[in-house]
Amino acid sequence: MRVADIQRFCMRDGPGIRTTVFLKGCPLRCAWCHNPETQSNKRELLYYETKCIGCGACGVCNQNAHEFSDYHTIQRDLCIGCGKCVTECPTGALEIIGKDYTIQELLKIIEKDRAFYGKNGGVTLSGGEPFMQSEEAFLLLEQCKKKGIHTAVETCGYFSSDILSRAVPATDLFLWDIKDTDSQRHKDYTGVSNERIINNLILADSLGAKTRIRCILINGLNSKEQHYKNVAGIVSRLKYCEGVEFIPYHSYGGAKTVALGEIYLGSDKWIPSKGQIDEAKKYLQNKGITVL
Amino acid sequence: MKFFAVNGTRPIRLSEETRKFAFESLNHKYGKDTWNTPAVSMDDYDNFESLTPLQKYDAMIAKISSTAPIRICEGEKISGAATLGIAIRHTIPATFNGDTLYSSISHLTIDFETVLKKGVNFIQKQAEEALKKYKGTEKEMFIQSCLHCIGCIRTWHNRYLQQLENKSQYKANYENLKNVPFEPAKNFYEAVQSIWFTFAFVRLCGNWPGIGRIDWLLGDYLEKDLADGTLTLDEAREILAHFFIKGCEWIRGEECGSGDAQHYQNIVLGGIDEDGKDTTNQVTYLVLDILEELGISDFPTTVRINKNTDNKLLKRVAEVIRLGGGVIAVYNEDLIIESLVEYGYGLKDARKFANDGCWEVQIPGKTFFMYIPFDSLQILQGETLANYNNDISFTDFKALYDKFIRDLKSTVENLITTRNTNSFICTGVPTRDWNWKPNIPCTVVSLFEQGCIEKGASYLEGGPIYNIFSPHIGGLPDTANSLYAIKKLVFDEQKVSFSELMNILKNNWEGYEQLRQYALNKYAYFGNDNDEVDMIAKNIINDFSDICDNASSYSAYNTPAGISTFGRQLEWSPHRMATPYGKKAHDILSGNFSPTPGTDKEGATAIIKSYCKADLKRTVSGAALDIKLLPSAVNGENGIEAIISLITGFVALGGHFMQLDIADAELLKEAQLHPENYQNLSVRVSGWNARFVTLNKEWQDMIIAQTGNEF
Ligand code: SF4
Ligand code: SF4
Repeated sequence: MRVADIQRFCMRDGPGIRTTVFLKGCPLRCAWCHNPETQSNKRELLYYETKCIGCGACGVCNQNAHEFSDYHTIQRDLCIGCGKCVTECPTGALEIIGKDYTIQELLKIIEKDRAFYGKNGGVTLSGGEPFMQSEEAFLLLEQCKKKGIHTAVETCGYFSSDILSRAVPATDLFLWDIKDTDSQRHKDYTGVSNERIINNLILADSLGAKTRIRCILINGLNSKEQHYKNVAGIVSRLKYCEGVEFIPYHSYGGAKTVALGEIYLGSDKWIPSKGQIDEAKKYLQNKGITVL
Repeated sequence: MKFFAVNGTRPIRLSEETRKFAFESLNHKYGKDTWNTPAVSMDDYDNFESLTPLQKYDAMIAKISSTAPIRICEGEKISGAATLGIAIRHTIPATFNGDTLYSSISHLTIDFETVLKKGVNFIQKQAEEALKKYKGTEKEMFIQSCLHCIGCIRTWHNRYLQQLENKSQYKANYENLKNVPFEPAKNFYEAVQSIWFTFAFVRLCGNWPGIGRIDWLLGDYLEKDLADGTLTLDEAREILAHFFIKGCEWIRGEECGSGDAQHYQNIVLGGIDEDGKDTTNQVTYLVLDILEELGISDFPTTVRINKNTDNKLLKRVAEVIRLGGGVIAVYNEDLIIESLVEYGYGLKDARKFANDGCWEVQIPGKTFFMYIPFDSLQILQGETLANYNNDISFTDFKALYDKFIRDLKSTVENLITTRNTNSFICTGVPTRDWNWKPNIPCTVVSLFEQGCIEKGASYLEGGPIYNIFSPHIGGLPDTANSLYAIKKLVFDEQKVSFSELMNILKNNWEGYEQLRQYALNKYAYFGNDNDEVDMIAKNIINDFSDICDNASSYSAYNTPAGISTFGRQLEWSPHRMATPYGKKAHDILSGNFSPTPGTDKEGATAIIKSYCKADLKRTVSGAALDIKLLPSAVNGENGIEAIISLITGFVALGGHFMQLDIADAELLKEAQLHPENYQNLSVRVSGWNARFVTLNKEWQDMIIAQTGNEF
């Protein structure tokens, strides 16, 4: 599987202590993306300027992608993601995002923290969109379940509904994103419309999928009562939903966009106020929906 | 009145008066008062100089007990106060011609069990018996001193009774203090007073004893009172809170704030009793309530956890830990009891274990304890690698490792047979049947250590049942990392030759920044769950423990191994040269058995795993692991579950002692200034994560600003 990062000791991606595997590749292109390095399924070079000591060791690049004139620049279009410069860079200023692991290798890493998972903790596949690599994702989830490790998947919900018959039994908990309930806005800001996502969610529920709904809250875009109302409407149709979690937009994803050598499209204006977050939570709570 | 919490808010259960008492005590009211009367003076004592040391001591204790200021705090529920300031400096607070005479005793937990259940009168009877036995021998003097000191307790006790009797509002205190600690305590209130009064007297005389298993000591009294309906749980909490509040009477706010636990008044909670039954009771929870509400960190508290510990207790412990301030640590009781038994302790005594002032395991009321700290990194650098002399070379890793162990062995043996011990407690090279050297007098603590009266020997002269002299290895992760880096750089990858590396290190990496960065960043060091380096640490511990166990065969005391630095990494840093794993000379390196700052990149679970790979049963004295977590990591309901999982994982994997601490925005600011030490610090918001040090200043500031709410 193509992996962006693996993090142990995660407390935010489902119950208990978890190991989260961030997978590469996503069908959406959200303007507010918090993990832009997971969007493309290609191997990409990240460059952290603050860590660079200007030693020039990365000059080993066969493509001559690293240039040192007044300061260190990278010609991204020349880079083929071979990772040679990363091996040479002594400080960790360069990093290749996108390493390929076999299922067995991933299982071994996931098993490392077994002693800390307890009954509730376990593995979370995140991303990116884990089901972009659905066949391997199934295998990994099924293997984990077999070993008694709790499985969670954070998904954008945008995939062919065919996969659900296998995804649902393999996944103990879905962290399901509903980014916007306004179809046009969804299309404008993520590149795809939301019908498929919502239909999949309802279908998954009918197959018995346990879900927690994750809603990003973006000031000026979806911080609207109509949106909350729509969310409440969707959730009320779900039998196995544990509740809704609001994720306030933050612009930290921008740091990684810059490290990728790209221009960040997000805006600080999008950060919702505490009042807005409370308002959204309250709206759902008043409708009798659990807010996580 | 707000009691500081790093994370969340502290609940309110205690009365307004008690909270005010706590607030004032924590804010130095009594500590300052204590400093106004530093010591009693022996200048007016006739012929003081001509007395023997023991006679001088007896005279000092007499003067202290008859003239030290009596302090009764407004509204206090239990009485007795250590009111002489020099005691705060670990010295007997009596002077002659302006100088103090004797240092005092710490690192022991005294025998409160006998005091509570049998009373000081019982100890007096024991001493009277011993006097018959030792009449006319050289031991008679010591026994006389014991009887004398018991008399002094009585003098001090009477002075308190007189004061209380005259004040109508302290009638309950008076009645409650009348019988204890001389007679057995009859109920919970008397029991708390009995422990406190004994503790306060021992401290008044300059000593710093630990308290030990307070819930086990008090549990039966409380259960009985509750069953009889003579006390409510709320009343019991108030009484017990006064014990903790009075225990803050040495906080002066100058040398150490309330965050410091400087006086070794340690407490151990939970765990099984000598018959293997769980001791957790209502008192356990009351103590946790009090620590949670008042945030008092002056009683270093450790909870004994085993594989069957109730989830209810784990949850309460996690809730208190989460508030921050590092108040509560955990022991893996299963491993420790096994470790003690394998070392040779009887099972019943092993199950009674508590600790000294910090976390070194000992059997309370039966143990003389002392440790000898040393720096393993300086052995590697100074001896094995001859201060990086370029003539030094090893053909392979094994040869290097073996030489290091030989150097370690001679250092430890040297410490045990000559230096410290010789000057401190014995004459000549100690043998199994040596004579203990006469030492400074210490009768007061000897009264409360089983074995002393029976043997007619003081605490420092071989009196206690167990006599422990524990070599403590420091800088262990740094040594393992150094050996590992040499293995990789020189032997496995041949990046540099041995003598080149020695030269580079001698010159503090000058001119080799690229190689230094490579060494620092390209290998996973201790704390990252990397078997290769973790096994080096494990092997050192096994070899070190063998050396220590062997030493017990030629010394009068037992010499179990331990791992600690207790902050000595600071004082060692000027003597340390550059390390092969990329640290520069004089850097501040690892504390206790925790990873070197900046080298742990995989998070808390990986740290625990690295630590637990060592066979920690071998470090009988203890091996401490410190872990700092961000408040954001433990927010919400899942945060409690996360802390519990860390603790249960630590127990399942065979840990020994772990201190989980919750650190706040200050830490992030520190990380901003010294990113090299905080490589592993991940900042997380749902679904987003980044390593803090990889962000630029703008981003970092933003996150710091958010810490404490969003996170
Ligand atoms: S990853 Fe390969 S191609 Fe890209 S910059 Fe580095 S060395 Fe050059
Ligand atoms: S090798 Fe790394 S530290 Fe050196 S110039 Fe390249 S990016 Fe910077």
